[in-house]
Amino acid sequence: MRVLDYEFPDKLYYSKEHEWVMVEGKEVAVGITDYAQKQLHEIVYVEVQKVGANVEQFQTMGTVESVKSVSDIFSPVSGKITKVNEELAESPELLNQDPYGKGWLARINLTNFSRDLKKLMTAKQYADYIKGMEE
Amino acid sequence: MSKLLKKTHLHEFHKQRAKMTEFGGFEMPIWYKGIIPEHMAVRNSVGIFDITHMGRALITGANSVGFLNYVTTNDVAALEPLSAHYSNMCNEQGGIKDDFVLSRLGKEKFLIVYNAANRTKDYEWLAKNAKPFSVKVEDVSDNIAMFAVQGPNAQKTLQKIADSDLNKIERFKCGWTKLAGVEGFVSRTGYTGEDGFEVFVWNAPLANPISAVEVWKAILEAGEEFGIEPCGLGARDTLRLEAGMCLYGNDIDETTTPLEAGLGFVVKLKKDTFIGKEALTKQKTDGVKRKRVGLIMLEKGIPRPRYEVWKDGENIGHVTSGTFSPVLERGIAIAYVSVQHATEGNKVAVKVRDKFTDAQIVKLPFYDPVKYGYGRQK
Repeated sequence: MRVLDYEFPDKLYYSKEHEWVMVEGKEVAVGITDYAQKQLHEIVYVEVQKVGANVEQFQTMGTVESVKSVSDIFSPVSGKITKVNEELAESPELLNQDPYGKGWLARINLTNFSRDLKKLMTAKQYADYIKGMEE
Repeated sequence: MSKLLKKTHLHEFHKQRAKMTEFGGFEMPIWYKGIIPEHMAVRNSVGIFDITHMGRALITGANSVGFLNYVTTNDVAALEPLSAHYSNMCNEQGGIKDDFVLSRLGKEKFLIVYNAANRTKDYEWLAKNAKPFSVKVEDVSDNIAMFAVQGPNAQKTLQKIADSDLNKIERFKCGWTKLAGVEGFVSRTGYTGEDGFEVFVWNAPLANPISAVEVWKAILEAGEEFGIEPCGLGARDTLRLEAGMCLYGNDIDETTTPLEAGLGFVVKLKKDTFIGKEALTKQKTDGVKRKRVGLIMLEKGIPRPRYEVWKDGENIGHVTSGTFSPVLERGIAIAYVSVQHATEGNKVAVKVRDKFTDAQIVKLPFYDPVKYGYGRQK
C-alpha cells in the first residue's frame, strides 16, 4: 500500500524501528523500510553482523550510515543469520533505490516466529503508525 | 515544525522543495535533491544557498577602527575600503566567542557577518564593548537577505544579472551592484573553498520578501545553463568540512583558542591591546598543548563528533566534525589531538563505535587544491 510519500508492500511485516520482514518458509529476509531510507537519505555505508551470528528481536544487528548520521539497525526477529547481502558493501545506495528488493540486508533462520510476530505490524498497522508520526 | 522558528524570505520556496530542519533558531532547508548532488554542483559548477539566518551588524562612527581592533583579533586598520577579512572575537582567556567575516564598506563603516547561533550573544558583546568608543552598532540581520553563490561558475552566473563588472572584484574584495535591478552588495567570499560570492540584498525586511525572492529566482534562472542547484545546510556543512573550515560550536568555541584551532593567521599580537591579547600572547610563548588537525579515514567508517582518536594505546584527542566526503568518497574529520601527535602523515585510529579504525592526519583542505577550490588550475 502507498501512504503519504511511502510504499509499504502488503505481504511484509514491520517493526517500530522501521525494519521489514519477508517470510519465506523457515527463513525470512529483512531490510529497512521505504520510510527509513527516505529519512536517512543518501546511505553511504552499511554494516551487518556476519553469517552465523545469532540475533535477538529488537537488538542491534548492524549500522547504516548516511552522509549526515549513523543509525543502528535493530533485527525485527530472533534467529541466526544465514546470508548477508554482499552487494551492499560496494553499492550501499541499493538501500535507497530498492529497499524491499536489491537493498535487502540479511536472511535469518527463525527461532520462534510466532512469538516475534506478536510484536510486529502489518502494512496497514505500520502505515497508521507512520501517519501518526508525521502529523 | 515549531511555529516559534524564524523563517527567511525564501521560506515558501524551501518548503515546497526541501527537507527542512531547525538551525540557529530558523527553519532552514537541509537538502533539496540531496547532499551529494548539491555538494558536487558547487565543486563542479555552481550552487546557491540561502544564508539569511546568519547575523549581520553595521558598525559606524569615527572610531570604528579603534573599536574593531579592540574587540577582534585581526588587523582592522589594514583592511581597505571594499575589502573583507576573516577574523575572530575572543574572551579575556583567549577563547573564541565567534568567527566571522568583516567587510569595510567605507572609511568609518563596517559590516560584520557572524554565526546564526551566536546572533544575540555577538550583538550584545559588540554593543557592550562599544560603549567607551564613539561608534554605533546596529543589528541589521532582519533587514538584509543573504545568499551564497559558490562554485567555479558562480561569477559567470551572477554576472548575467549584475550591472557592474564582477571580474573587478577579487577574492576577499566587495562592491555594490544591482542584481536583477535590485540594490545589492556582493563580497567575493564563502564557506565552501570555491570561488564565489556572498550576496546581500539590501533593504529586504523579512516582512517584505519580494525583492529577495526576485533576486534568488533571477540567480537560479541565470545559473540554469550551468546546472545550478539550490543547496541546503547539509551540503554547506560537507563543503566547508572538505575545505577544512571551522564550524562554530563544533570545531571552535569559548574553550578553544585561535592558536589551538590553527587560526593564528588572524591573531595579530603586534596590535595594541585587544580582548584576549594577554592570554594569547602567553599561549604563543608557552606553546599550545593540542591542535586542530584534519583526519582522513584509511578504512570504511565515518568519524562523527566526540569519537575518540587513539595512538599507540593512548587516547590523544577527539573528533569535532566528521562526514562522508563526496569528492574523496571516504570519511573525513576535523579533530583536536595532543600537539606531539599533530603532524601530517601521522597514522592514528578513530574509535568508530567499538572499532579502532585506521586514519591519517592530513593537510587541509582535504581535496586536491590543483583540481578543486578557488585556486584550482583552470
